Formats: sequence, structure tokens, C-alpha cells
Amino acid sequence: MALIYFDNCVTSQPAPEVIEAMLPYMREKFWFPANYVRHGSVIAADIDNWRRTVADSLGARPGEIHFTRGGTSANNLAIKGFVTANAANGSHIICSVVDYPDILTNAAFFEQSGFEVSYISCDRDGRVNLDELRDSLREDTILVMTTLANHTVGTIQDVRAMRGILDAAGSQAKLLVDAGQAYARMPIDVNDPAIDMLTVSAHKIHGPQGVGALYVRKGVHLAQMMHGINRVDSLETGGVSIAGMAGFARAVELAFDDLPGAIAHIRALSDYLLDRIESAIPHTMLNGPRGEERISHNINVSFDYIEGEAMMMMLSLQDIVVATGSACASQGLKTNYVMIAMGRTHEQSHGSMKFTLSRYNTREEIDLTVEKLAGIVAELRRRSPLYNPENE
Amino acid sequence: MQYSQKVLDHFMKPHNVGKIENPDGEATEGSPACGDQVTLHLRVNPETLIIEDIKFQSYGCASNIATGSIITDMALGKTLDEASEIHWKDAAAELDGLPPQKMHCSVLAVDTLHAAIRNYKERHGQAKRSGFDKEAILDELRKVIYPQVGEDIVTLKMVKYVGFENGEVIIDLGVPKFDQYRDNIAEEIREHLEKFEAVKSIEINM
Repeated sequence: MALIYFDNCVTSQPAPEVIEAMLPYMREKFWFPANYVRHGSVIAADIDNWRRTVADSLGARPGEIHFTRGGTSANNLAIKGFVTANAANGSHIICSVVDYPDILTNAAFFEQSGFEVSYISCDRDGRVNLDELRDSLREDTILVMTTLANHTVGTIQDVRAMRGILDAAGSQAKLLVDAGQAYARMPIDVNDPAIDMLTVSAHKIHGPQGVGALYVRKGVHLAQMMHGINRVDSLETGGVSIAGMAGFARAVELAFDDLPGAIAHIRALSDYLLDRIESAIPHTMLNGPRGEERISHNINVSFDYIEGEAMMMMLSLQDIVVATGSACASQGLKTNYVMIAMGRTHEQSHGSMKFTLSRYNTREEIDLTVEKLAGIVAELRRRSPLYNPENE
Repeated sequence: MQYSQKVLDHFMKPHNVGKIENPDGEATEGSPACGDQVTLHLRVNPETLIIEDIKFQSYGCASNIATGSIITDMALGKTLDEASEIHWKDAAAELDGLPPQKMHCSVLAVDTLHAAIRNYKERHGQAKRSGFDKEAILDELRKVIYPQVGEDIVTLKMVKYVGFENGEVIIDLGVPKFDQYRDNIAEEIREHLEKFEAVKSIEINM
């Protein structure tokens, strides 16, 4: 049986067209860009085109796009580069308790270096508390960071409202948006609302691993964090994979060819999955908002009385790939911080399953998965001391 | 990290799952908040003190279910005293090993077995509730596994100091500042000590 893959928020299968687009740059055109020589000029022109492709997908100008070695690299270059360059203007940073680890670990790094960080709380659906953001803004706030679509529960943050709060306060703070999960799954325009820095990753949109992009609004200055020879990019120095960029650009073309149609397709699949789970399995709870406030590919459900790693493993043994918020399956055996921040109990976090879909998933896969899952949940509940069948 | 085939077998088809009506001894250890809980029921022959039936239920991950299953197999047919000798390392070995991060599952399962045996003995006047002292705290700390290596924190000499006075437990631990398991170890220690009535507060210094 072929693998049924529902973990696209971690990484996604490269599209066949992406692999085709990459091959020439590994076989024949293996060069780095260069001036005045024919082979290097070809690559330089290609990179310009790819940069334009990524820029167009975000409403940015090509000069505002930096290719990086991935989403995390883009976040590090942006956050460290910006804070370092602007430390003279203030030492206060704002993010939220539910942000992507790239943001939280960088915030913690600066906190240890003497910066102050305000961590904004969220509501039960993972929406960042905007009043708290307004109240946290200070004269010395230099950076506000957010994760456009939450990586755990898919909540889409109201970046327009955040921008409005910064503008109304006349704040000097720049707005950084991690769009790793949101990119190609909802429309993004860096000018509406105005975003100062934005990061994306190729391998989450059926592109290759090891390449991403950083958008930096013209006029926003980043210090160089990665020192070395400027082969492809002034921030991400050294050799960035040319084939990777080729694949990334192809993935963007495929994703944005009919973005509204693609989003509608994935949302229909996600809605179908949720509907099937809720009708086939009792004692479940959707984590995160329902409908348009949720990114199109994410369904996160807690199953009462049972633990997620056991569910995940049983599905895995049947070649179905999902993720769980269980501490047992996490690095450091920690309870999922997003779930706890949203006011879920530890049990609800341990018993949560995350399905992140792609255009390659089908209704048949969903039917089969829910059928297997219903059996697994029933069997694990039979084994659980927390479950009392007489309550049915 | 991989589970052994034996762990997978016991996880997929666990032995002795369920409850015993009016058990002779029973125990529940762990907590759902910590992500694992095991309940054990015993049927004991009052003449021979042999465990004639044993059933378990588990809320937890694959290794939690597998260790619950294996200890029921190991204890079945043994006398209470023989079953009391089962160590968590025996249970892990019987499963052809567990990943170090999962060793605490074996501790929990064996702890539950020992608690169920103690419960039987208490019900039948064969054991008195023992007092609570520093030694008892150390016994509990021997059940806290450092997930990095799968060995307990006392054996690993991570426990630098244990104090106990007027219900206040003070524990000094040697754990590196950036150790990813710091929170987990503190949580485990609290889980093990909070269940004792004699413990009013727990201070953990790292």
C-alpha cells in the first residue's frame, strides 16, 4: 500500500515538475552565478527570474527577496540581523506565546543577551491578544514578530490589525511575519497590510528541502549574520543550492498558477476530513478555529481518554503519517506549548492529532484513514483506565 | 530511535488488558497530565499467595502499553514476594530493551505492580504503611529516569542533596542549564513525591 501522508506542515513531497526543474542544475548547469562569462551569466539570469517569481507571489519587488538555506535560516538572518542592526534604537521585542520555535528561540536568545521580550498571550483558538499587543508597545520596541498561520492549530493571525496597532501608536517597530505554514495556502501581499520582513520555506510547498526565502522591505536594514563570500546572496553568503532555487521557483509557479482554486480544493479536503472524524468518532474536540480563520490545510483534533503517540504509531504501522501533540513523541518529552497556551489540558494536548493536507491527498485516502483511526481510537479507549464505556 | 519487535508486538496485541471484578489488590500510578497512567488489578490465591490473575489498563504511549503488558506476563503465576523482586530493568530487558527516553514507562509499570502488591498486603494485614523519610525520598528518586541515557538520577549521581523537614522536601540536582530534559525531570520528581501525604512542599534546585 502506498504511503498516506498527512504531515505536510513538517515537509511535503517535492512535485515531479520540481524535480525535473532541478535536474539540469545538478547535471549540466552546476555553476554558480558570475559576471562576464557565459556559463555564470546564464545562472545569474536564472536566479533573477526565480527571484522575480517568488517576489510576484508575495507582491514584493525582486530586490527585496533573498534566497536562503531554508525557513529557519531566513528567520535567523532576519531576526538576528535586524535586532543587531537596530539595537541602538531600543531593546524591546514583542512576539506571542504561540509563535513558531524559530521566533521563540531567537527571542530567548536576545532575552539572554539583555533584551526585554514581551510574550503576548492568546485566546482559546490561538488568536494573539491584540489589546495586550497594544498595551505592550513601548517607545523602545524595535521588533514585533508573529506567525501568520500557526504551525500546530492553523490559526491565522490578524496581521492587518497588528499593522494598524503599530501605525496608530506611531511605533518605530518593524513587523516580522513567519509565513512558513501560510505561504501558498492563503493569499499574502506584503504591501497590504504592510509587512517589513517575511519568511517562507520551499519544502513546505512541494519544493526541495534546504531552500527558503526572506523578504525584507526596501529601507529596512539588516546586519550581516552569515559572513563569507557573496555567491548568491548578500545575507545568505556562500554557496546556496542553485538546483534548490530552481526547484523552489517551479514549486511557486505550480502553487500560484491558480491559488484560489488550490486553496478551495485543500479546504474542501480538510473540511471533509474533519466532518468524517467528527461523525465517525465520539469524544473529540477541534483545536483552533473553524472556517476561514484557519489555514486551509490544517486539522488538529484531540481524542479524549487516549494518548497521541500510540495513535500515531498505530497509524504509522498502517502506512499513514500524522503528527501528535503528545509529550511522549516530542523532543525533551515536553507538553505541546501551543495547546497549553490555548488553555487545553495536558490530556487534551497529549491526545491531539494533527493532519496537514496537500494537493496530493484524496478523499479515498481520507475515508481509509478515518476508518482505520476509528478502530484505533476504539481499541486504545478499551485499554485506557480513563475511559468508561458505560458513559456512552 | 526504534522500538524492538517485542515492544511492537506487546503494543499491538497486549496481554491481560482489562479489569478484575472485586480485585484482591489494585493500584493506579502516574497521571494523565504527565501523559501516562497504569492501573493494575490482582487476583491472589490466599493460601499460596500466588498471583492467579492480573489485568492492566494503560493511558499512554506504545512503550507504556507494552511495559504494562509485559509485567502482567512476568507477574502471572509468581508469588507476591517473587513479583515484588521484579525490577524495572528486568521488564525493559524482557522487551529486548527500550529507548532511553522511554525507560520511565518501565519504571511506572513496575511501580504500579509493586503498589498493587502493597495494596493486597495492606488489605490483608500483611504490611503496615511505612513511615516517610529521606530514604523514602531517595527510593522515589530512583524511579526518576534521565531520558538522555535511560538510567535513574540517583545512580547517575545527579542528586546532590536531599533535605526533608516538616513536610518540606528540598532536592538539589546537577542538571546542565540547557539540558532539554530539565522541565521533564522536575515534573517527574514532583509526580513521584506529591502523592505522599507527608510531603507538603517540594523545592527543586538545579
